[in-house]
Amino acid sequence: MRAALARLIDWPFEALQRALGAARMPYVFVLPNLLVFGIFVVLPMLLNIWYATTSGAELMPGQRPFTGLANFAELLDCGNYLNVASCRQDRFWRSVDNTLWFVAFQVITMVVLSLITALVLNRKMALRGFFRAVFFYPVLLSPVVVALIWKWILQPDGVLNAILVANGGQRVPFLLDPSWSFFWTVVVSVWAHMGFYVLILLAGLQAIPPDLYEAAAMDGTPQWRVFWRITLPLLMPNMAVVLVLGLIRAVQAFDEIYVLTGGGPGTATQYIVQYIYETAFAGQVHIMGLAAAASMLVGGVLLVLTLLQLLASARAKQ
Amino acid sequence: MARLALRGIVRDYGTLRVIHGIDLDVAEGEFVVFVGPSGCGKSTLLRMIAGLDKPTGGDIEIDGIRVNDRSAAERGLAMVFQSYALYPHMTVRQNLAFGLENQRMPRAEIDRRIADAARMLQIEHLLARKPGQLSGGQRQRVAIGRTVTREPGIFLFDEPLSNLDAELRVQMRVELSQLHKRLRATMIYVTHDQTEAMTMADRIVVLRAGRLEQAGSPLALYNHPANRFVAGFIGSPRMNFLPATVSPNGVRVDGLDELALERFAVAQGAAVSLGVRPEHFEFVDAGGLPGTVDLVEHMGGESYVYVTLANGERITVRRPGQTGLVGGSNVRAAVLQGQAHLFHTSEGEAAVARL
Ligand SMILES: Nc1ncnc2c1ncn2[C@@H]1O[C@H](COP(=O)(O)OP(=O)(O)OP(=O)(O)O)[C@@H](O)[C@H]1O
Ligand SMILES: [Mg+2]
Repeated sequence: MRAALARLIDWPFEALQRALGAARMPYVFVLPNLLVFGIFVVLPMLLNIWYATTSGAELMPGQRPFTGLANFAELLDCGNYLNVASCRQDRFWRSVDNTLWFVAFQVITMVVLSLITALVLNRKMALRGFFRAVFFYPVLLSPVVVALIWKWILQPDGVLNAILVANGGQRVPFLLDPSWSFFWTVVVSVWAHMGFYVLILLAGLQAIPPDLYEAAAMDGTPQWRVFWRITLPLLMPNMAVVLVLGLIRAVQAFDEIYVLTGGGPGTATQYIVQYIYETAFAGQVHIMGLAAAASMLVGGVLLVLTLLQLLASARAKQ
Repeated sequence: MARLALRGIVRDYGTLRVIHGIDLDVAEGEFVVFVGPSGCGKSTLLRMIAGLDKPTGGDIEIDGIRVNDRSAAERGLAMVFQSYALYPHMTVRQNLAFGLENQRMPRAEIDRRIADAARMLQIEHLLARKPGQLSGGQRQRVAIGRTVTREPGIFLFDEPLSNLDAELRVQMRVELSQLHKRLRATMIYVTHDQTEAMTMADRIVVLRAGRLEQAGSPLALYNHPANRFVAGFIGSPRMNFLPATVSPNGVRVDGLDELALERFAVAQGAAVSLGVRPEHFEFVDAGGLPGTVDLVEHMGGESYVYVTLANGERITVRRPGQTGLVGGSNVRAAVLQGQAHLFHTSEGEAAVARL
């Protein structure tokens, strides 16, 4: 049965090999992957470069007039970079500003919380497997589901307000107040992604040989010193991976936040990817050129971060 | 320097008892080696002494003070781990300093101790390196150095040489013995290698399945093993054992003629196990135990002769110098005067006393 099946799958490859020769067969096997990569990664990238250097409202690449770096010039045109309102594309700069704040708060919170969680979950405790699952579970959820769950909690007549009111408190317009709204985008995105980073840190913690801790105990090392001088240094490669991956993902933050706040109230939680999306697809006029230029700028930043990540994981392997 | 006492130490893992009540006194400056087969509880016992593990029952005393409830650090001991357990991200110097810094020792004193230990262990040129840049033997020295700088009351070693190659092991064995002489420190050393035990110990403690089988000087254990297990464990190649019955003038090895021996405190007709070390056989022309040579191993200075006796039992005979015997030779193996051991075949297989 299995042999018959194998023969069925074999013959086209055998025929190909007879036609091409064994030396060329490897290319046959990588071809499907190359095609997918080409169509869905390389081609869009090339298209993006074309859109970024052309303008107008035309969708078809051939009908767009070439304008060189005009889109970039427009994006970067500011009277004073410290004053968003003085920029020609003030929405772009506002979302850059929002994104920087978001990245700073989100990444720091996430790294610290993931580290604490990993340290706790690495201890011998009851229901350890259960708690590990609890922290990892949100990672498996679709971002839209994450956003809807939190919307259900945070909306004016949501769960959290119900609890507040039941305890004699005041309703808080969590998603209608700029500061609260920003706060919750940080919380929700930390909640949604933390499990992944906890996992990376747990793996790192478990790779530290237990006899180092026993040696430290024989050396009479206080707990805090064990953490700072042994655990943290040996966890550094994993911490670096977490930090850089976290940075990249924070810059890319979009889906769950878009569903949760829509970038609001006003533009309080509009981050850079949302700006790109709305500029290109959501407005009355689809300003593809600006959006493409903005995504190239973001891409440049992410490229630098990714190189850092590769460096970090190369060092982790050593 | 400190002395140690174990009083009825018991350790259970769940319902499984792995240490069955061990009593032992270690004197100041003594080098005691725990030896026994894998899984007999050597490490467990050492870890309980170190304070890394807690006994289920019994007391551990250091200098007469009960230390069961003291942390590892408070007991004033230092340990060399089988894996060395050097901090991989710190230099050798930082490794040596780490424990001293915990005690808030002045920098000058730390530097002095590191310099002393480094000189003694010949690792001065390695102080700036990290453990990953050292050979196994060098790591071993650093691990020992880390304990030396602590100037502990008792040094603990858990199979410290098992990761080294044979030649280095012999060398480190000598160095450890010298270290012990120089520091006159109390040392407890765990190994499953009886050669290490024989060569280094002031006193050997033989453990089996969580029980203390015998404790004594290397030669006491070699000359007067308390039971068949100790007799078989101490000495290399191991002692030969032959099933036998006590007869009027000695013993009758099953299936062979009577062998004349000195007198033992055992009734005639009793079933015993005759134990003879390989070096205590000699080849004779008449009498003895008849057999055929299977194989001769020539070591140059001595020869190992493997013989199958007429009753099918196999023995190993060790002769000084070089022998002309070859496979197939017919030989007769006699026991040197006063060198036979008899063991009861009953539970415990205790040695039979000589009369
Ligand atoms: N955490 C544990 N849980 C259950 N049983 C254990 C545990 N640790 C050790 N044991 C058992 O206790 C016994 C003694 O173990 P120990 O490590 O002390 O042996 P050892 O004499 O050091 O052996 P080796 O020479 O192989 O190192 C073994 O039978 C082992 O299976
Ligand atoms: Mg062990």
